[in-house]
Amino acid sequence: MNRALTTVVLIAVTAVSLWAGGGAEAEDGTVTLTIAGRDGSFGEAMELATTLYREQNPNVAFEVLQLSGSALFEQTVVDLRSGADSYDVILIDDPNAPQYMAAGWLTDLDAMFAARGGAPDSDFIGPALGVGRYPAGSGTLYALPHVGNVALFAYRTDLFARHNLAAPDRWEQVLAAAEVLTENEPEVSAVLFRGSKGNPIVTGFLPILWSFGGDVLDTQGNVILDSAESVAAVEFFLRLSQYAPAGVANYQSAQVRDALYNGSGAIAIEVWPGWIANLNNPAESAVVDQMAIRAHPGQVRGSSPMIGVWLTAIPESSQNKDAAFDFITFLTSAEVQRRIALETGVPPTRVSVHQDAQLQEQYFWYPAQLDGLQNGVARPRTNHWPEIESTLGEHLQRALIGEISATEAIAAADERIRAIVE
Amino acid sequence: MTSYRLHHQRFFYLLLIPTVLVVAFLTIYPTLAVFANSLFEYDYIGGIRTFVGAANYRAIALDAQFIQSATNTALFVLLAASLETGLGLLLALLYQRPFRGRKTAATLAVVPMMLSTMVVSATWRTLFHFDIGPINALLRGMGADPVGWLIDRRIALFSIVIVDVWQWTPFAFIILLAALQTIPKEYMEAARIDGCDPVAVVHRITLPLMRSHLLMVALLRTIDTFRLFSKVYALTGGGPGNATETVSYYIYREAYRYFNLGRAGAASVLAFAVIAVVAAFYLPRLLREES
Repeated sequence: MNRALTTVVLIAVTAVSLWAGGGAEAEDGTVTLTIAGRDGSFGEAMELATTLYREQNPNVAFEVLQLSGSALFEQTVVDLRSGADSYDVILIDDPNAPQYMAAGWLTDLDAMFAARGGAPDSDFIGPALGVGRYPAGSGTLYALPHVGNVALFAYRTDLFARHNLAAPDRWEQVLAAAEVLTENEPEVSAVLFRGSKGNPIVTGFLPILWSFGGDVLDTQGNVILDSAESVAAVEFFLRLSQYAPAGVANYQSAQVRDALYNGSGAIAIEVWPGWIANLNNPAESAVVDQMAIRAHPGQVRGSSPMIGVWLTAIPESSQNKDAAFDFITFLTSAEVQRRIALETGVPPTRVSVHQDAQLQEQYFWYPAQLDGLQNGVARPRTNHWPEIESTLGEHLQRALIGEISATEAIAAADERIRAIVE
Repeated sequence: MTSYRLHHQRFFYLLLIPTVLVVAFLTIYPTLAVFANSLFEYDYIGGIRTFVGAANYRAIALDAQFIQSATNTALFVLLAASLETGLGLLLALLYQRPFRGRKTAATLAVVPMMLSTMVVSATWRTLFHFDIGPINALLRGMGADPVGWLIDRRIALFSIVIVDVWQWTPFAFIILLAALQTIPKEYMEAARIDGCDPVAVVHRITLPLMRSHLLMVALLRTIDTFRLFSKVYALTGGGPGNATETVSYYIYREAYRYFNLGRAGAASVLAFAVIAVVAAFYLPRLLREES
């Protein structure tokens, strides 16, 4: 009996010691930073950054979780909501950022900069840094911009030249070009976009909605989707989709990217820097030097490319805030962003890195990307964006597959979004 | 009762306590917590919890998306569970007779259920692809029109049924083959000597003796197909439109994308009630057969 009791007590003491030791500095002074990050090229970028950081700071070790976008959101929300200190650094997609910031889960980076007698430098692209603040643009800084994602527009210059098509500045010209290409290039799908339900279809559609003068929410957060401009945008989107592959309603980024790389697509209304990093690599692409990448066309309003910056932040519950702060400033520094861009294709968030000659040579669209980031539109700042996006995406796809009309899609989405916001 | 028997009983109940505690902690507590959440408007991120009584139940009962999800789930369960049980039985009957390569064929037949659902879904997603999928390439090669397996709202749910049947018929097959092998061969031989044809042997001897196993397979497949989630997530994301939205997918989205735990809780409680009714239908029959 005594032996059994002793065993139980020993196990309990060991378990408590292990639990209590979590997050604390190890005896040899090593600090372990746990990062909740993304998979794919973002994961490669983070691995590179941690390797570079460890070369300079051998006393810092890393545990990097590479998660899909949805898994990252779910896991970090559940963890931060429970007050656990599992993560020292997290990545956040900018439309989700207001939820984290409003809930008070993130460390005030303005205060951390001030404590070190500094401030985020002006080399960061303004809107990219702005979405790291709450309220956006003017409030407290809670996150630094790590990945300078912005949706861009792509088209085949060789096909446009062959059919004497001008570079499109207005969406109407895109439609006209799609018609010509469909008639004359039967092997090529004139228009490409992600038609899958939810985020993919909405992401492709929003630049059209904005340039047609529509929007989902106004600056006060009121729902303004149901408008003539929005209906016109959906009607235009449906007309454009007639020139897309028949299976476009199931297209994800892989299908759009494949079609671009193998030359079976002519116009992509939405491309992201991560998709196009190897467009001019002959080993992977059949369209070397045949693609133009630029900001979206305008219509009623000017070009409205969509910003999709990935932010890096420190949870308020982290036990290693100083080390985490040092790491995220390193991660977002010009030199590290340059290395990341060169080696992984992940786009930077600094003006100087976009203007780097070697990078501009490697990635010809960097001027357009910089322009898009500087003049782009961020998705509405609301705590309800995931639900709003899902609702809009559902109705857009129902219109795309012919289940409802553009007017019905907008009216129904507006009604549901009002219920969500209220 | 002697003191020895009393002591023995106490010891018996004492041994049960850890199991009861584990079950209570892992099953009963979460169930009660979900039920409690279903009575609140619960904004998980904001940490705001407001008691709303049955409002969440009323809201989802009127939610067209939930109704569509429930309809899709019912159709899927009906088709997939019955096809898997039926095909599993046919395969088991086929494999009961000796033939050349039987062992190899049996091994190959169970491979689908050993694969991860995400791997199965990724494979079928490619096979079903409208533009570049091998199935449509074959159809085009034969001069037929390609089929919108995952993009035609009238077909997409049936495509997921095909994938589920492909993956899980082997499960029914294994259980039913094992059941078949427990039936004494003398019964069949006697029936044949008495002049029964093979169909009559199956109908009058094999099936009645396999009843409990058939009920068990049907119950397990009904419960499993009712929980359909991963295939929808990986193949269609609930689309096109809401054509493949299921109750599990609805709950997942409400809980983990929107963090509306009250509404997700209400949908979970309704799903739990449905499963309880299904189990209440099957289990007494199953236990009767066993006894």
